[in-house]
Amino acid sequence: MTSPLTTGADARTRKGPGGVALSLALLPALAVVLILFGGGFALGIVQALGYLPGAGLGEWSLAHFARVLSDPDFLHSFLLTLYIAGASTVIAAGISIPAALGLASLSKRSRVIHFIFQMPLTVPHLVIAIAVMFMLAPAGLLSRAATGAGWIASPADFPLLINDAWGIGIILTYVWKEIPFITLMLLAVLRHTGRDLLDVGRTLKADAWQRFRYITLPIIFPALGAASLIVFAYTFGAFEVPFLLGQTYPMTLPVWAYKHYSDIDLMARPEGIATGIVIALVVMAAVILAQVLTKAARKRGLIA
Amino acid sequence: MKKSSRRFFGSIVGATVGLPFLSLVLWSFAERWFYPALWPQAWGLRAWRYITSTAGFQVMTAIGHSVVVAAVTAAIAVVIAVPAGRALGQYDFKGKDLVSVLLTLPIIVPPLCVAMGLHLWFIRLGLAETYAGVIGVHLTFCLPYAIFVLWGVFANYNPDFEDQARSLGASRAVVMARVMLPMILPGISVAALFAFLLSWSQYLSTLIIGGGRVTTLPVLLFALMGSGDRPVAAAVSLVFVAPAFIALLFSARHLGNRSLAGVR
Amino acid sequence: MKRNSISVAVLLMLAAFALAAPSHAATQTPVANSWDAVVAEARGQTVDWFMYGGMPSANAYVNGYVAPQVKAKYDITLRQGPVKDIAEVVGKMVIEKQAGKASGGHVDLMWINGENFRTCKRNGLLYGPFADRLPNQQYVNWEKPSVYNDFGEPVDGLESPWGAAQVVMIYDTARVAQPPRTVGDLLTWIKAHPGRFAYPAPPDFTGSVFVRHIFYHVAGDVARWQGPFQPAALDQAASETYRVLGDLAPYLWRQGKTYPESPVRLNTLFADGEVDFSFSYHQAEASRNIIDGLFPDTVRTYVFDEGTIANTHFVAIPFNAADTAGAMVVANFLLSPEAQLKKADPDVWGDFPAIDPARLPAEWRERFEAQPRGPATLSDAELQSHQLPEPPSKILIKLEKGWQQHVLKGR
Repeated sequence: MTSPLTTGADARTRKGPGGVALSLALLPALAVVLILFGGGFALGIVQALGYLPGAGLGEWSLAHFARVLSDPDFLHSFLLTLYIAGASTVIAAGISIPAALGLASLSKRSRVIHFIFQMPLTVPHLVIAIAVMFMLAPAGLLSRAATGAGWIASPADFPLLINDAWGIGIILTYVWKEIPFITLMLLAVLRHTGRDLLDVGRTLKADAWQRFRYITLPIIFPALGAASLIVFAYTFGAFEVPFLLGQTYPMTLPVWAYKHYSDIDLMARPEGIATGIVIALVVMAAVILAQVLTKAARKRGLIA
Repeated sequence: MKKSSRRFFGSIVGATVGLPFLSLVLWSFAERWFYPALWPQAWGLRAWRYITSTAGFQVMTAIGHSVVVAAVTAAIAVVIAVPAGRALGQYDFKGKDLVSVLLTLPIIVPPLCVAMGLHLWFIRLGLAETYAGVIGVHLTFCLPYAIFVLWGVFANYNPDFEDQARSLGASRAVVMARVMLPMILPGISVAALFAFLLSWSQYLSTLIIGGGRVTTLPVLLFALMGSGDRPVAAAVSLVFVAPAFIALLFSARHLGNRSLAGVR
Repeated sequence: MKRNSISVAVLLMLAAFALAAPSHAATQTPVANSWDAVVAEARGQTVDWFMYGGMPSANAYVNGYVAPQVKAKYDITLRQGPVKDIAEVVGKMVIEKQAGKASGGHVDLMWINGENFRTCKRNGLLYGPFADRLPNQQYVNWEKPSVYNDFGEPVDGLESPWGAAQVVMIYDTARVAQPPRTVGDLLTWIKAHPGRFAYPAPPDFTGSVFVRHIFYHVAGDVARWQGPFQPAALDQAASETYRVLGDLAPYLWRQGKTYPESPVRLNTLFADGEVDFSFSYHQAEASRNIIDGLFPDTVRTYVFDEGTIANTHFVAIPFNAADTAGAMVVANFLLSPEAQLKKADPDVWGDFPAIDPARLPAEWRERFEAQPRGPATLSDAELQSHQLPEPPSKILIKLEKGWQQHVLKGR
């Protein structure tokens, strides 16, 4: 498996300097991942299964998972979260492809555009969510501009774009934030390999669409897929943006998980953790599904 | 790209990126700004005075906490990621795929789950509400990102120079410091910047493990946001963006033409 | 074996960071007997006071006035820990109790009342009783029901009063000339002006108190909920409350499909002209917002003819607080006439005093009486003649949960 973030790098791998040296080099990293991440995840599962010695929860049971999954609101929240994560990913990826092609064709002199393009990467989600709120709220900047132009008479005429049923504010926030992420991943690949093949394509008289479909797309596909998966995973499990810009009800799964977790009713905590585990499982399932689909597509020659 | 289309492309990018910041700057200096005014009706420094004097201590403390957490997380992540990245980028070995999967998991599993799982045990170990605890949680997802960056760097790294230096009699340490380090320095900057930014913008896992004691900027911003005092929220938001932005400016020098591919 | 050495290495590493973390006295020393000894012990302590952070006036009072005062007077470093909701801190203490962390806790003082106090008291999360040991208790009128009972829960010296507040309706005279003066008239007004009213979604504190006003309105008598009552009567009144609110939903802002999540979000809607009313569990907040330029100058407040709900808010010390002596000294300072007078200043906060001016020396009493009022704050006489008590927390929690089920989710 190629790592999602090194696609396009041509590994100059060689036979190792011996198992001991390699193990030593990898040991600290694996220790952190296995103990802190693996441990945290495992302890989460243990607690979600109701095992909590010292708190009167000494029995293993699936009751917490059952309560979460059988809650009439669960399906609602799950679908909402899936929709928001899916829409954000698809829109961001869709815009990123032309953006990456555009950036790739810019000369090196356009470093300012590059720099500006990278700025959203440094902006925390929380900040952009607040800015989006300022702009898109029913009495926000956009609504004021529309009022000034005489298109609407009062904030009530302005379409609801935040705290709305369709999560438009949330999706826009994610799209703004994730386009540079995906684009720069694609750009790294395009810089490496794109040019020569496109020249070949041109000499073979392939038209623009053909060059895109049969040369560019296959080249960027692995990076696009990896970046999209990371974006999907992030947006499916993130709390801040839907908390600030989401509807009162239904809420997304991460908001639900934290609400339960921080409830002063102790019995709600394992349910919060169980919801967290469900989120993790969904994300993992999405990644595995993507791998399987990619393999199948590759076998049938649909992608390179 | 033609000059005109470059202008067009540039202005779309500029406007999309700039507008949100513009709204934050305007609000932070607005003294009175009622609907439907498109422009603040009165300007003032109330919000900036509030966050520099009244809440000044809190904001400074929060900046301090955020910087310590993010910088230490980034430093540890890089120190651990360099040998791991070199092993993964330079050599083929049994179990490499498994390592790759193990490193991918923390990137896709939300920190929320890990933090909730670790919380109770961190309290028992005395790690809850400490820098150590918060940094520990942040490392779970910052470290894999740093490793993937350095993996990519070492995949393109040619160790022949090291052999040459060694044949000229340089010691192991000298080879590391004088040959390897300068060559991978841009990669290290990117990895450190990644880890720094990821940790910097983390909210929920910090809140759960830091428990209101390690109040980083996002935790403070959330508490102040509850007030809906828009000028104050805007001013704190700008303070929140500034250090990360400065970090980007600084590393932009190191990065050269390299982009921040992979940062989120 | 290998696994073991890995975990040892990581624990060592983590222990190394722990040393870099802010250090704190780890043991809870028993607090000395005399007040002088408490003050002496408090010297040099750092008191971490956790409170709702979304109220700029309270933030300014605590950080800009109380902190420098206790530093100068008692050499206590006071740090405010602003939180979204104090329930977060209560939840954290529940987990700490569960994890067996009985001392060295980071929270020394909490701003609390109502259901959170009840949760703390019932789960043994509070230090004390300590309130009766504070010298400034002499100024508190403990005979008052809203002081000895916090939302129907006996205080028992486990918290010390800090201030008092009353719900007021907020409107803009430039938009609404004649506001509806009773809850019934308000309901009629909302139906006649669709989309122009909103209330924050319970369990938000302010949204929740709005629901209780409706509850009192449909239940008729207020006094019957203070003593023992029939559960069936409560169920009946609660269902009627949900029915009224459910019928109201289509006439609310955004047809009741979404609710503002906080009172200040409601204030924003009000300031932006999206809705015509706001309301606050704080009689002076509107004046404060006018001074800060967040509300137009034409904004005024009023209370319903049948009255509005008022309560007392308190400070309490957690069971595992590290600096109990310091926390007690701060709690005592908060009750001092000068601290209470400063808090009552509309330019600062405008909170009702927790102490009874009648119990003060004449000189202080005059200074309280001479206190200016904000442009939109009603007179004490007007407010105090229109006060309703909070119902017991049990009713409050039932209404909050029921609202989620029946009004929000429409079941």
